[in-house]
Amino acid sequence: MKTMTDGNKTNTPEGFELDSFFAAARDEEPMPSGDFMARIEADALSALPEPTRVSTSRPGLWQQLLQAIGGVPGAAGLAAACATGVWIGVAPPETLTEYWEQSAESEWYELDPNSGFDFAMLEG
Amino acid sequence: MPYDAMNDRGDEELLLAFAGGDAAAARALTGRLGPRVFSHAMRMLGDRAEAEDVAQDALLKLWRIAPGWRVGEAKVTTWLYRVTANLCIDRMRKRRNGPDLDAVPELADEAPSAAQRLQQNARAEALQNALNDLPDRQRQAVILRHIEGLSNPEIGEIMDIGPRAVESLTARGKRALEVILSGRRSELGYEDDD
Repeated sequence: MKTMTDGNKTNTPEGFELDSFFAAARDEEPMPSGDFMARIEADALSALPEPTRVSTSRPGLWQQLLQAIGGVPGAAGLAAACATGVWIGVAPPETLTEYWEQSAESEWYELDPNSGFDFAMLEG
Repeated sequence: MPYDAMNDRGDEELLLAFAGGDAAAARALTGRLGPRVFSHAMRMLGDRAEAEDVAQDALLKLWRIAPGWRVGEAKVTTWLYRVTANLCIDRMRKRRNGPDLDAVPELADEAPSAAQRLQQNARAEALQNALNDLPDRQRQAVILRHIEGLSNPEIGEIMDIGPRAVESLTARGKRALEVILSGRRSELGYEDDD
């Protein structure tokens, strides 16, 4: 009866086949005990580094506002536009004043905040 | 590789997850690598208690280096085989007074027939005893090549030698094993096989 299955057999001059021993050793793999497995798992868990912390809190109101207008670059652009508007209001350039006077002749440009319609609405 | 809940993830990926504090990765790696390291240590040392100590030490070293693991540099198993074998060789050098011949791998129960099983057990036991008589490096090379089934380049990486040196070690180891085992030929049921 032949029990060897490996193709690459190792034969001595007497026909002694070492591969059957290797095959037997492979089949008889030493198995660790349950105690050992529990011990190494406990080791692994106690050696486990602190989990990497990931922030899960929501951003604050200012952060949300800042994000809504495009972050810091967006806020800077908005501030520059506001400052320019205020500056034009306080010290309007001469060319703009001339343009204003010319265009003031057009009726549509004259806005009366206390128009008759509004008073009519208030008085009922 | 034994099946585990993270079978789709490689050893290195799990080790990186371990380094990030993932307890599930720690359990999966333990279940996957623990038996393998133990088995290699057992074959090298032929003693269960010592093999368990060595395997535990090797895995502790792996957990310690996990946060600094350099991706793609070496396989986790190659690193572990190397560390395990070095720890085993240290122990073998310390106990030069001879191996414990009673310490042989434990035997599983399933068998095609009791007689065949006994013969197979006897051969595994005889091989373990013969391996215990080999020089350390020959024993390591033979176990890695012919029992663990690793390739010569991988064994070379583990043992820090070239593939040709691996071939030379395994060839000398096998010749020595043949000499030792052929003395027990009839005892091991070789009349039946011929």
